[in-house]
Amino acid sequence: MSKSIISYGVYLPYLRIKRDEFLSALGSCSAAMKEKTVMDIDEDVTTMAVEAARNALAGLDISRVGVLTLASTNFPYQEKEMAGTMVEALGLSNNVLSAQHANSTMSGTQAILSALGLMDQNDQPYALVVVSDAPTSAAHVDLENGFGAGACAFVLAKDEPGLAYEGVFGYSTEAMGLRYRLPGETDMRDIGVKAYATQDYNETVKAAVSGLMEKTGRKLADYNHVILHQSDAKTAAALAKKMGCTEEQTKGGQVFAQLGDTGAGAPLLALCRVLDVAANGDHILVCSYGSGSGSQALSFKLEKSLVAQTNKPMQAALEYKKYISYVQYLKLKRSI
Amino acid sequence: MGAHISIPMYQRAVPQRYRLIGQRCQSCGRINFPPKAVCKYCLQGTTFENVQLSGKGTIYSYTIIAGGGAPPEFAAEARCKGSYPVAIIQLEEGPRVIAQVVNPPEEGITIGMPVRAVFRKIYEEEGVTRYGFKFSPA
Ligand SMILES: [Zn+2]
Repeated sequence: MSKSIISYGVYLPYLRIKRDEFLSALGSCSAAMKEKTVMDIDEDVTTMAVEAARNALAGLDISRVGVLTLASTNFPYQEKEMAGTMVEALGLSNNVLSAQHANSTMSGTQAILSALGLMDQNDQPYALVVVSDAPTSAAHVDLENGFGAGACAFVLAKDEPGLAYEGVFGYSTEAMGLRYRLPGETDMRDIGVKAYATQDYNETVKAAVSGLMEKTGRKLADYNHVILHQSDAKTAAALAKKMGCTEEQTKGGQVFAQLGDTGAGAPLLALCRVLDVAANGDHILVCSYGSGSGSQALSFKLEKSLVAQTNKPMQAALEYKKYISYVQYLKLKRSI
Repeated sequence: MGAHISIPMYQRAVPQRYRLIGQRCQSCGRINFPPKAVCKYCLQGTTFENVQLSGKGTIYSYTIIAGGGAPPEFAAEARCKGSYPVAIIQLEEGPRVIAQVVNPPEEGITIGMPVRAVFRKIYEEEGVTRYGFKFSPA
């Protein structure tokens, strides 16, 4: 049985802050985005997830959704099923198989993979995957400067044309002291050795991508779009170049400059950006990364463009915005 | 000014608060929102059919809450924003509802302005987030 993504939806907070605001307020900014998304005081991972899901489900028969998987590194509750809120907000059948994936920026691709598996466990043709994230730390933590927020959602279907899923290669290894958070803490920690972090990212992501190439018998050059997890601007671009990717292959999925680090959402919001412009027949590679560490490389082929169904949601979301000052930013974070 | 709504009471209203489920009166055919025990239009109908409202509407009237005018559950929001708009929304299906307006346009809210329902946190009490609808420019 073939499985494809037949629809996608995006939600980005309306509020944005420019990097210049950090520079003029603090004299520095640890992240190299141009601007980033900021949640309003009445937004959280759940509200963003509902809006992205509504966009993805528009025009579809929601009674056919039998699977709901969710991903975030920052669910509003540490214990409480968010799927229940989603089911009621969206009007989905209460008889859904649900799964939540957390604790890692790799959880977005995990949610797609678990949906693909759960779809075999019931008769309904659709699965809804929602990845919504807003990594958070206190304003004085360096990593915080780059943290953005956003959500995307995908409807997966059995035996319907769309973005066809072709396969995955997963790679996991031990990497200590990189971007970790203890129970009950909101501030992210990191031992802060950039060369060590970059080396782990490079080795882990490369292992997943090479594994996938070996498994599928393809070369990276066969992919029209290559998306490597972006938790900063430069590391992903440098690795792609080192692996022989052209700018043509990587430019479609650049989102960090406009969103900042969207955690688990990063590779999948990038996928939405690619889906806005991809052509029928395009091969797309999506590779996630989670510190700790692990990586999953997924292969897709676009059999039928999804743009008509969704009306370029990423482009529209990027254009709808209002800039705030650093002081307003601190107020929204309840820092002042 | 704040009105405590218990968790079980809020829970019973989840379909209307989370996804705007209204009810069509079987006697007169008009749509009640929020749902009522007796139809507010014909004052007779007591049997209803659930209907999914579109969430589309227009601004019928509005006010700006500022300067300590916010009920306690919205105090944090008022402190953060200085002020926030609350409107009476004329829904496409007929009923009028009171709700906050998010992302108001720079030039201000206007009567007749088209809006659409969005899912937001309404307030938090007992550590429990109460979700529901607000309206955003359409
Ligand atoms: Zn009636």
